[in-house]
Amino acid sequence: MKMEAKYDFERKFREQVLKCSRCGFCQAHCPVFGATLRPAYNARGKMLVLKEVMEGKIELDDELIETLFQCTTCASCYKNCPSGVNVPEIIKQVRKDMVNIGSCHPAFTGMHEVLQKHPNIYGEDTPADFERERNRQAAYVFFIGCVGAYREDESTLATLALLDRLDIDYTLIDEVCCSGVLEDVGFRINPSLAQKNIDLILATGAKTLMTGCPYCARTFTNKPPYDALKEKGIRVLHISQVLKDFDFGVKTDKIVTYHDPCDLGRHCGIFEEPRQTIRKIAPGFIEMPHHHMDALCCGAGGGVRGAYAKNSIAMARRRLQEAEAVGAEVLLTECNSCVHNLSNAKLRKQKIEIYTTTQFINQLLNPQ
Amino acid sequence: MEIQGYTLPDELHYEENHFWVREEGDVMVMGMDDFAQQMAGEIVYVQLPAEGKKLEQGKRFAKMESGKWLGKVYAPVSGELVAANENLETNPELINQDCYGKGWIFKIKPDDKGELNHLIHGPEAIKKWILADIEKYKQEA
Amino acid sequence: MEDRIKNALIDIVGQANFTDRLIDRVSYSYDASEHHHRPDCGVWADSAEQISHILQLANRYRIPVIPRGGGTGLTGMAVPQRGGIVLDLNHMNRILRISIEDRLAVVEPGVVYADLEKALDKHGFFFPPDPASGKVSTLGGNVATNAGGVKGAKYGTTRDYVLGLQVVLPDGRIMRTGSRTMKSVSGYDLTKLFVGSEGTLGIITEITLKINPRTTAASTALATFRNLEDAGRAVSQIMHSGIIPSVLEILGRETIVAINQNTDLDLPVVDAILLAETDGYTRAETEYQMQRVISVFKQNNAEAIKTADTAEEAAGLWEARKSAYGVLARIKTGFVLEDVTVPMAKIAEMLKGIKAISERHGIMIATYGHAGDGNLHPQILFDAYDPEQAKRQEAASADLFRLAIALGGTLTGEHGIGLQKAAFMTLEHDPAAMDVMRSIKKMLDPNNILNPGKMALEN
Repeated sequence: MKMEAKYDFERKFREQVLKCSRCGFCQAHCPVFGATLRPAYNARGKMLVLKEVMEGKIELDDELIETLFQCTTCASCYKNCPSGVNVPEIIKQVRKDMVNIGSCHPAFTGMHEVLQKHPNIYGEDTPADFERERNRQAAYVFFIGCVGAYREDESTLATLALLDRLDIDYTLIDEVCCSGVLEDVGFRINPSLAQKNIDLILATGAKTLMTGCPYCARTFTNKPPYDALKEKGIRVLHISQVLKDFDFGVKTDKIVTYHDPCDLGRHCGIFEEPRQTIRKIAPGFIEMPHHHMDALCCGAGGGVRGAYAKNSIAMARRRLQEAEAVGAEVLLTECNSCVHNLSNAKLRKQKIEIYTTTQFINQLLNPQ
Repeated sequence: MEIQGYTLPDELHYEENHFWVREEGDVMVMGMDDFAQQMAGEIVYVQLPAEGKKLEQGKRFAKMESGKWLGKVYAPVSGELVAANENLETNPELINQDCYGKGWIFKIKPDDKGELNHLIHGPEAIKKWILADIEKYKQEA
Repeated sequence: MEDRIKNALIDIVGQANFTDRLIDRVSYSYDASEHHHRPDCGVWADSAEQISHILQLANRYRIPVIPRGGGTGLTGMAVPQRGGIVLDLNHMNRILRISIEDRLAVVEPGVVYADLEKALDKHGFFFPPDPASGKVSTLGGNVATNAGGVKGAKYGTTRDYVLGLQVVLPDGRIMRTGSRTMKSVSGYDLTKLFVGSEGTLGIITEITLKINPRTTAASTALATFRNLEDAGRAVSQIMHSGIIPSVLEILGRETIVAINQNTDLDLPVVDAILLAETDGYTRAETEYQMQRVISVFKQNNAEAIKTADTAEEAAGLWEARKSAYGVLARIKTGFVLEDVTVPMAKIAEMLKGIKAISERHGIMIATYGHAGDGNLHPQILFDAYDPEQAKRQEAASADLFRLAIALGGTLTGEHGIGLQKAAFMTLEHDPAAMDVMRSIKKMLDPNNILNPGKMALEN
């Protein structure tokens, strides 16, 4: 047994790694294992690899990237672990250790570099134009997030249309990537990007920051580089929390199901607000077998969509199978990343429709 | 022909955004060329619109994604979409592995085969075009 | 691993289904036991034919092959103790057929128990042997270890439900055993030979299982006993009640204390708590049965008896039993879960003996288990990285085995022998029995390539 801890993950989480009793129960919950059936990718497999690193049996190096960087950090394993091992936190820390020693998945080194030079994770310079004013004085700021701005523009337009309809006094800002994702893939939030966002938000005089991206919401709420928002008494809300009290006066008789995004549900405890809205518009609402705390991850999180797209989409495919199995015609969710991954996973022959709730409501309000 | 590591068969016609076209009886088969495939990296998603969709030469009608890039697919000829390679739904990397063969993407029933004349064709034209794009991407990188 | 062997394996299963990557070899080194050893590689097989080719190759080059399902075995039967090829069966995960009229289901070995349960539930049927690991364990593994579960007392174990198998023998021959009928006595019962054989006699590639219609009513009760002897006697006397409860579980004092310290369940701290369930098709029927069970409890000085009127209340009574494993798993870095089983009449004595062993070796042992079929789970808790404590655990386990055998019991009710208990096989089985087991092994696997080093099958 080595005496000295060589890495931060060992200093912080040694007890936890050792607490893994290898029962394997996580295999029932891990989305990566579920889609690949490869024990090396499962939470247990990851803890075993780290245990052997701590024991000095193997090195922390590039060989381990394929498993340590292939975790959506959905925390399903942690929530069901009889021994209470917080796998996602351990993984995020070991990724930082690996970056420190120069061992990282190229997709994430790439992402880090992109965010040094560009304001979004895609490296695109032309900001998406949503035909609305930016940086006004307003009571609310609506923060779109990279996926909403560059990959799911229809969903963003729909959300903005609803906000307009409700006469909410909001403004967009010349936002840049919240860069929260960097914390999860071995790096740190880009302080200049964070400061830019903070400055723009504060300049509007808004007291509430709304966003459609659960990940951005978590970053603004929990991460120290954004503490200034808390200090200035700015409330951070996800759009579902804003919309839950409104009645749009539309209904559908389609069978609708709801996918709890990991970042909104399991990580933030926001389960009922989206359902409140959906139940008003869809009397035929039905749950999938895995819902609320037990929801099945769509596979996009933790950087996996960027680094292991094939497996990421395979995970999304499993979630769609659940939706189809309960007879859902429409799958609604509250995260653009989930919509993106699930839509990519949908096969041509599958008839299920996938939207964010705001997109669906907007469609019902404007039937073509 | 082979230019600086990129394979571009002489007999094909090319749309300037790097989509190739080949006649197969009544229809035109199209796909992505080797240059674009190499630039994009591993293709992870190809949008496959439904059969019957009307296409216009030069206009975008679908999208593709690799790990780092979202690309638009442009129609090389006007016509009707009559088939899509459904193998790409579960194996989009066929485009990387065999972009001129198993990685074909769409089949189009053309309105006017003459439109092929608007496309890049023949070793001279291909060479000029590829060398220019190689330069362009080098500068952007 | 030599290149020519590696290439030969890739020829059989395809590049994508072969791995000698470090990350895979690490996972395949372990199951849920304390044992581990590196394999040379892992392969995923898709069919009996592929497996046949793999085993022929293994025989030619004398390479060990270790079958693996969910990897949740507790005694090391899936650990590649001599290196070799881990044969991962998880890709063979189809439910091939469910026939309600024939009362059977046919599955591939990689089907997860919980998925079979879900599929049968749609028809109002279930598969009674329900191991605690059922969410992740696979039927192939369940058959290879004769898995039990909480319903064992009334419904028996996996062995009682296997009607037939398709097996690939160590020499590569593909063989069928048993029948697709409810009963058959045609020839030797080869099916039963392979059930519980822990992957040492053949690779199971298809399983025909008998299934039961689901019961629709249940009564649940929780009884506390200040005195260990009273609880033990209550269990032993259950047979006198005239009925067999579908569930009869026990929680010992140390387990109760641990549960109280780690949850907000606030159980009464007594020597033992018994959880009983009776099942059937009407509430009247299950209540009638439960009254008989409760009168046995009362006759044996049960202090408090709680019953349930609703499904929620029943779930509440079950919570303590369900939390036991998880709670105990968090207390120390190491634990060994034993599985000793004794005749029902000896339960009280066994429980007392466990307490004495714990004191004698100065090591914590928390007990719970399936009292209804005499299967106790003494969980020995210690610091896995302290070699001195590890030694005491080994000594305590050895004493547990000796005691169980002395009381006319067996080393293991449902977890199997694997590596963990191999050294104690001769304690339980006489020389003739050991000789016959070893002869069968030698006859079927003369080169000893299939899961070698397990179950004391080598001299």
